Formats: sequence, C-alpha cells, structure tokens
Amino acid sequence: MMKLEGVVKRYGSLTAVDRVDLDIEKGQRIVIIGPSGSGKTTLLRMINFLEKMDEGRILMEGAPVGYRLDKKGRLVMEKPHVICELRSEIGMVFQHFHLFPHMTVLQNVMEGPVTVKGEPREDVRKRAMDLLGKVGLVDKKDAYPAFLSGGQKQRVAIARALAMRPKLMLFDEPTSALDPELVGEVFYTIKALAEEGITMVIVTHQMGFAREIADRVIFMDNGKFIFEGHPGDLFSQTMEHPRIRAFLQKVL
Amino acid sequence: MLAQGTRLVQEDRLLEAAAVFDRITAPPKGEDAGIFVQAHISGAKIHFGLKDYRASARMCREVLAVLPDNLEAKNMLAQVEIASTPKWLRFLKDMKSYFPTLMKATSMTLVLVFITMIVSPIGGLFVALGRISRHKALSSAFWFYIWIFRGTPLLLQLFFIYYALPTIGASLWPETPTVLVLAPFTAAVLGLGLNYSAYLAEIMRGAIESIDSGQMEAAKAIGMTYWQAMRRIIVPQTYKRLVPPVGNEFIALIKDTALVSTIAMVELMRAANQIFSATFNVSILVQAALIYLILTSIFTVAFRRLEDRLGVYENR
Repeated sequence: MMKLEGVVKRYGSLTAVDRVDLDIEKGQRIVIIGPSGSGKTTLLRMINFLEKMDEGRILMEGAPVGYRLDKKGRLVMEKPHVICELRSEIGMVFQHFHLFPHMTVLQNVMEGPVTVKGEPREDVRKRAMDLLGKVGLVDKKDAYPAFLSGGQKQRVAIARALAMRPKLMLFDEPTSALDPELVGEVFYTIKALAEEGITMVIVTHQMGFAREIADRVIFMDNGKFIFEGHPGDLFSQTMEHPRIRAFLQKVL
Repeated sequence: MLAQGTRLVQEDRLLEAAAVFDRITAPPKGEDAGIFVQAHISGAKIHFGLKDYRASARMCREVLAVLPDNLEAKNMLAQVEIASTPKWLRFLKDMKSYFPTLMKATSMTLVLVFITMIVSPIGGLFVALGRISRHKALSSAFWFYIWIFRGTPLLLQLFFIYYALPTIGASLWPETPTVLVLAPFTAAVLGLGLNYSAYLAEIMRGAIESIDSGQMEAAKAIGMTYWQAMRRIIVPQTYKRLVPPVGNEFIALIKDTALVSTIAMVELMRAANQIFSATFNVSILVQAALIYLILTSIFTVAFRRLEDRLGVYENR
C-alpha cells in the first residue's frame, strides 16, 4: 500500500534517517523500536509528510507521491493542498496527544471530517459517537481535554485520527508520556484496532506492542534498520546484534 | 431721601444708608421709577458688600417686581446668588450646568473608542498573520509598518495624517490639491486605527506564537491546510490569552482618544478644555476626569468577565 525507497533525512551534518526502505502492506502491523535518536520518529513523520525528506521516494499504491523535482533537480514537496490530501488519508497519534484544548472530546473527534472533508455534521456526529464508544469514552463526550487523564486523552486522540477513516495509522510513542498505570488502557485500545485489521506503524519503547501486536518488528539504530522480521525472531536472534541486546536489556 | 442716603454712604454709615434707601417706595404705575431703582440697587450693593445676601437679594427682587427687565437688578441678583451659594453646592451646580455638553462630547469619545475597538483587532490579526508568514517580502512590509507606528508618538501620527497629508497631496497631485485633505473624524479614526492595529498585531503575533507547535502538527496531521489550522485551531486558542493585554490596550485607547482633540475633533477632552479656558472653572476638569475613570473602570470589569468566560475549557 505504501512504500518508502531510499529515504534520507539529514539535519546539518547528522543523518537522522539513512537510506531506508520500508514496505507497508495493507493490514500489516509494523512496530519500530530502537534507542532514542535512532530516527524512528523522524521516519514516521516523513511517512505523514510532516517532515520533508532529503532523498528517496514515497509511493502510494505504487505511484510516487508528495514530492517533485524543482528546476535545479532538488526534491521539493508538492503544493500544500496535495500534501493535505495525502495527510488526510494517514492518521497520526502523537506522544503528547495534542488534543485541541478549546474543543470538547466530541468536537475534537468531529473536527477533521467536518472541516477538512466537509462531511455533514450529523453523519460525522454519529460516527464520532461510535468511535468514542470503541475507545470507551462516550460519557466524556462533552468534557474538555484538560479534564481528562493522559490515557483518556490518548484514546480521544486515537478516535480523532480514526474519524478521518485513514488507510494507515501512525503511532508515535503513544504510551511514552503516560503514567505506568495508564499505559494498559491505551495499549488495549490499539490492540483492539489491530484485531480489526487496520494497517498501522507504531514507534514505541513498549516491547508489549512488538510481542502482542506486531507482525513485523523493525529495530532501528543510527538511522538504519538493523533488524527487520517476525517479533519472535527479534528475541531469538539478539545474540548476533549486540546493540539490540543492550537495548532489550534496558527496556525489558 | 436719595440725597440723604448718598450722604450717609459718604460718611461711611452704611447700615443707616441702606435703611434710608429701603424706605424709598415704588411709585405708582406709569410714573418714573428712576429714583426708586437707583436707591434699591444702591441698597442692594451695600448689603452685598456687608455680606447680607438675603437683604441684598430682597432689594433686587423688589426692583424686578416693578421693572422685570431691569438689567442692573438682574445682574446684581445673579451675583448675590453666586456669592450666597456654599462653595461645594456651587461646584455641583457648575457640574450640572456643564454636564450635557460633556456628555455629548463623551459620546464622540465612545464612538472613536468603539470604532477603533472593531477596526484594530481585525487589522491587528491581518498584520500579525502577515508578520508570521513565510513570505519574506510580506513579513518585512508588516514589520516596517509596526516599526513606524509603534516607534513614533500617536500625537505625531495624528498631526501627520491631518496636517501633513494635505500638503503632500497638494504637491504630488497639483491638479487635485485637496485629494488628501481629511475630515477631522476620518483622520482621527485613521490615526487611532493604524496605531492600535500595530500594537494589537504584536500582541496577537506573540499569542499565536505562544501556542504549542504540536497544535499545528496535530491539525496538519488530520489534513488541515495552514489557514484551516489557523482559523479553527490556533487563533481560537489565543482568545483567552489576548484578553488581558488587549484589555490594557483598550483602556489606554480610551485615554488616547484625548489626543485627537488636537486635530479639531470635539470629544470629551476638547470640550472640557474649551469650557475650562472660558471659565477657569476647576469643576469641569474634575468632571472630565470622573467620566474617564468611569469609562476605564467599566472596561476593566468587562474584560475581567470576558477572560473568565473564555477560560471555561481550562482546568484550574
């Protein structure tokens, strides 16, 4: 469904993402793990065009999207409306939720379809209530985000992303900002989505995601994939990868 | 008897003189009342000099009873009334007599305040969005505008618009020399609007930039364009943060409208100044001060309420 080819991102002399190839197939659940600063989040942000890549190609359903070459042959992003169109098909959940604080829970979930897609308010409302039911927050529909716990906020953020009916969901360390006792509720919400067959890419430190949700785990270090495979193999093959072993010892 | 009274005055026997003058009665209707009037006015003057205001007023009224249009008696009576009123009461009476003029002038002050309060937030938002734009030329142009209007006195700006623009217009377009001649009201609104837009623009820019960058990211992530994100997500979050500084600006604005009195606008300050120059009556300035205080107090309370109402989504 979505494919990254030779994607490179540099910040000055630092290469954050170094010629990465990633093939995301429909229904796949990819978990990217790795130490801080390994380029996981940057990679995820490039998939959603929040970050401009310096080299490479992004393909959607086989066609290159989002970038063109300018007169001097440099890679530039397409016009904003093209990028917005692409983004609206990709849901994103942030580490720090980024709910809209001046809107109620229900308004947060409805905002995308109503403002971006111009869908009729009543239809969106029905769908939004279904989604709130799915994440278990129907009773909080009229609450403002400031009055929710971290776990509840993240579940609203998931519902907000789903309301756009994305083809692909991206999770950027969705439980890293949560108190330990709140991790579970978000984890189970994401797990339930995984069981519905939604395509997702999750960047996380939670090994639970890798073990229980992923059908493919990628270990990233210094902007490169140093392991890519079935989650079971990650644990059995660590002997060959001292970096992975060191990381796993720290997070487990 | 008139001669007798006059002699007594010359001998400084004032009370006796007044009594003599009092005894001269009014002639029957149709006859010459000259002596009666002269005597009574003289008596009234003596009583006035001795601070017996009641007697003085009585003698004036007796003249007016015979000759209702006698100017001398009228003026004398007015003087007596002014002198006999306690100072504080006179102060209040003065206030009352100037009140309608001042209220009329206050309405002009309010018109200027309200127009600027509508124009400058719109202009300010426009300029603020231009300032944070990625287009260098646009951003620089608005920077220049803010630099000029925040960096020079409002008084000078008003002078420039009202007095200098016509001259510039006349020399640039000699065939239509009055093209830049503005009515005082237009010049006042233009000056206040441009000045306050510049100030509000900087406040709004600060407020927009204070919103967590994650908000823009989240808005973009659900597919919003930059302008959709600004309109729906970023700018609405600035409202509450804007109320205190913008409220301060509007309170300053109420007082700044006094400056347009220098370009021939009759508003509260100008009206007060005009009456004061003519009468040197202190009460007029006190009254103007009270009106300004009442206006600024109302604004202070109103903005406080508005701030509370806009903060409902915050957990405090």
